[in-house]
Amino acid sequence: MRTERAPRLLPLLQVPIFRSRKVTIMSENSANGVSRFVVELGVAALTGAFGVAVCYGSLDIGAGWTDMGPDAGYFPFYIGLLIVFGSLVNIGQAFVKHRGTGEVFLDSGRAKVVASFLLPLVAFAAVSAWLGLYVGTALYIAATMLLQGRYKWWIALPAGLGVSLFFFIVFEIGFQVPLLKGPVEAWFRIY
Amino acid sequence: MENIDLLIDGFGHILSWNHFLLMMVGVTLGILVGVLPGLGAPNGVSLLLPLTFSMDPISAIILLSCMYWGALFGGSTTSILFNIPGEPSSVATTFDGYPMAKAGQASRALTLAFVSAGLGALAGVVMITLLSGWVANFALKFSSPEYFAVYFLAFASFISMGAQSPFKTLVSMMLGFALASIGMDTISGNLRLTFDIPELIKGVSFLIAVMGLFGIGELLLTTEEGLRFEGIKARVKLAEIARTLIEIPRYWLTIARSTIIGIWMGITPAGPTAASFMSYGVARRSARDKSKFGKGDPRGVVAPETADHSAGTSALLPMLALGVPGSATAAVMMGGLMIWGLTPGPMLFTDRPDFVWGLIASMYLGNVVAVFLVIATVPLYASILRVPFSIIGPIIVAVIFSGAYQVANSVSDIFLVIGFGLIGYVFKKLDYPLAPLVLAMVLGDKAEDAFRQSMLMSGGSLNIFWSNGLVSTLMALGLALLLSPLVFWIVGSLRGRKHDAAAPHGDGNAAV
Repeated sequence: MRTERAPRLLPLLQVPIFRSRKVTIMSENSANGVSRFVVELGVAALTGAFGVAVCYGSLDIGAGWTDMGPDAGYFPFYIGLLIVFGSLVNIGQAFVKHRGTGEVFLDSGRAKVVASFLLPLVAFAAVSAWLGLYVGTALYIAATMLLQGRYKWWIALPAGLGVSLFFFIVFEIGFQVPLLKGPVEAWFRIY
Repeated sequence: MENIDLLIDGFGHILSWNHFLLMMVGVTLGILVGVLPGLGAPNGVSLLLPLTFSMDPISAIILLSCMYWGALFGGSTTSILFNIPGEPSSVATTFDGYPMAKAGQASRALTLAFVSAGLGALAGVVMITLLSGWVANFALKFSSPEYFAVYFLAFASFISMGAQSPFKTLVSMMLGFALASIGMDTISGNLRLTFDIPELIKGVSFLIAVMGLFGIGELLLTTEEGLRFEGIKARVKLAEIARTLIEIPRYWLTIARSTIIGIWMGITPAGPTAASFMSYGVARRSARDKSKFGKGDPRGVVAPETADHSAGTSALLPMLALGVPGSATAAVMMGGLMIWGLTPGPMLFTDRPDFVWGLIASMYLGNVVAVFLVIATVPLYASILRVPFSIIGPIIVAVIFSGAYQVANSVSDIFLVIGFGLIGYVFKKLDYPLAPLVLAMVLGDKAEDAFRQSMLMSGGSLNIFWSNGLVSTLMALGLALLLSPLVFWIVGSLRGRKHDAAAPHGDGNAAV
C-alpha cells in the first residue's frame, strides 16, 4: 500500500528514486493492460491534433494584420503552433523514455475500479440534466451507497435525500444561488 | 512606514464580528477541503467562488483567502496522521511526520507542523506588508510591453523550474492559452475557435477547468489507488502542545532558512509544492546528523511546513501587485477578483486601498485563527476520514457538479467538468503539470491583450520588447530561464559521460 501510494502523488516533482520503484511495481503487477508508451503517444497525438485545430480555427477568422492591429486569430495561431511543436517533441520523448520499459498505464483490474466510479458519475450528469441536480444528487448518492457501499436501502435512501436537502438549504436559502431544478420540483411548486 | 499606517487602516476595515465569523467559516471549510481527498485548495476556492458573487469584495476575499490557509493546514493533518497528503504541497511532510506519529508523537508532530506553518505564513505576510507598496509603485511604470514581459517571465519560469518535462509543461500551458481564447475576442468582438458549437460561445471558464482537473481527476486517481485510511488515533494533549512550543526556538535556523526558500519560491511561480520539497532537501543535506531523517526527525516536519506556508502566502504578492499569481490557488482567487470587477495589479493599490490592505490585515488574523482552529479540531477531521470512501466520494462529486452548474447556470458545464476530469486523470498519470494550464487560462486574455497592444504600439515589430532597459531585462531574464533546462541538460550529459553512476544521487530533491 504505502510504496504504491507515494509515486502517485509524487509526479509533481518527479523524484527519480520513486519513479524507478513505480516501474518495478507496475511491471510485477500485470502483463495485461494498456502500456504507458501507447498512452503517451495517444495523448501527444491528441494534443497535437488540438493544436492543429487551433491553428485552423485561427486562420479561419484571420491570423494576419488588419487596420486595427493584429487580427483576432493572430495570437491563438502561434499558440496552436507551439502546441503542435510541444506535442511532436513529446512523441519523440515517448520513444526515448517509455518504449520497452514495460510500464503499464492501466491494467484491467484497475480499469474496472475506475469505470465503477466514472460510469455512475456520467449517469449522474445525464440524469441531472433531465431531472435537475437535487433529484440527481439524491438518486446518485443513494444508488452508489446501495450498490457500491452495500448499505441497506433504508440507510442509503434517507442519506441521499438528506444530502440533497442539505444542498437545498445551503444553496437556495443560505447563499441564494439556485441549482438546476427539473420536473420533480415543479410538481412541488418549488422554483 | 507608510505601509504600517495603511495596514492599521486595513485592520480597521476588517475588524468586525461579521468578518471574524467569515474567517472561521473559511478556515473550517478550508481544513475540510484540505483533509478530504480529491478536494484541494484550488478546487475548494473555485467551488466557493460562485457563492461569493453577491458578497462585497472584502468579505468575499476574506472567505476565500481563509479557505486557502485552512486548506494548507488540513493537508498537513492528513500527511501526519494518515501518511496521505491532502495537498500535493504537503507530500514532503509525510516523510518525517508520519513516522513521528507512528512512534506515538502525533501531538508533537502536529503542533510542530502547525506552529512552524503559522510562523512561515506570518513571515510571508510581513514580507507582503513591507514590499507590496514598493512593488506596486514600481509596476506603475509598466506599459503593455513590460506587462507582456512579466507574463513571459512567469511562464518561462514554469518551464524551467517545473520538475516535469519542459515540453509537457509547454503543451499544458499552451492548452490553457488556447482554452482561454475560446469564445468572444475582447478586442475585435469576433467569435474565436468556437467551431460553430453554440455552447462554446460564452467561452470555457477556468473554474470549470479547475473543478474537473483537480477535483474529478483527483477522485479518479484516488479510486484507482483503492483508498484505505490506516490512521493513527490522535488526541492533541495540551501538556504536549506546551512542551512542543518550548521546543520550537531550537529550530530557528531551519525555520529561517525554510522561510527564505518559501518566500522566494512563492513570489516566483514555482509554488508551495516545489518550496516544501526543496526546503526538506536543504534541511536534510545541511543537518549534521542525517540518520534520523525519514524516521521521524522533527526538522523534517518543520522545514517543509514552514516553506509550504510561506510560499502559499507569498504567492499573493505578485498576484496583488503585478496581477501575476504565484500558484494555482492564487490564480483562481485572481480570477475571482476580476469577476467581482476588480483589476489585480498596481492600480488596485491606488483605486481600492481598503480592499488590498483589508486583505493583508485579514491574512495576519486568518493565519492566527487557523492555527488555533486546526489544533482544536484535529480529532474531528481525523474521524471524518474514517467515513468510507463510498459515501465521501459521491458527496464530493455532487458538490463539484453543483459548483460547476453555479458558475454560469449552464448544464453543458457539468459535462465539461467530466471531460476536464478525464484530462486531469490522464495528465496526472503521465506527469503533465496542471498548474500552468490553470494559470494560462486565467492570464490568457491579459497576456494576449498586452501582446496585441504592444504590437499595435510598434506596428507589428517584435523590437518593442527590447526598446528600453526595463523590458529588455525582463525579457532577457525570461529567455535565460527558458533556455536553462537546455543548458542543464547539455552540462548534465557532458558530466554524465565522465562519471556515470554518481549523477542521479547528487540532486537535493531526490533525497528521500
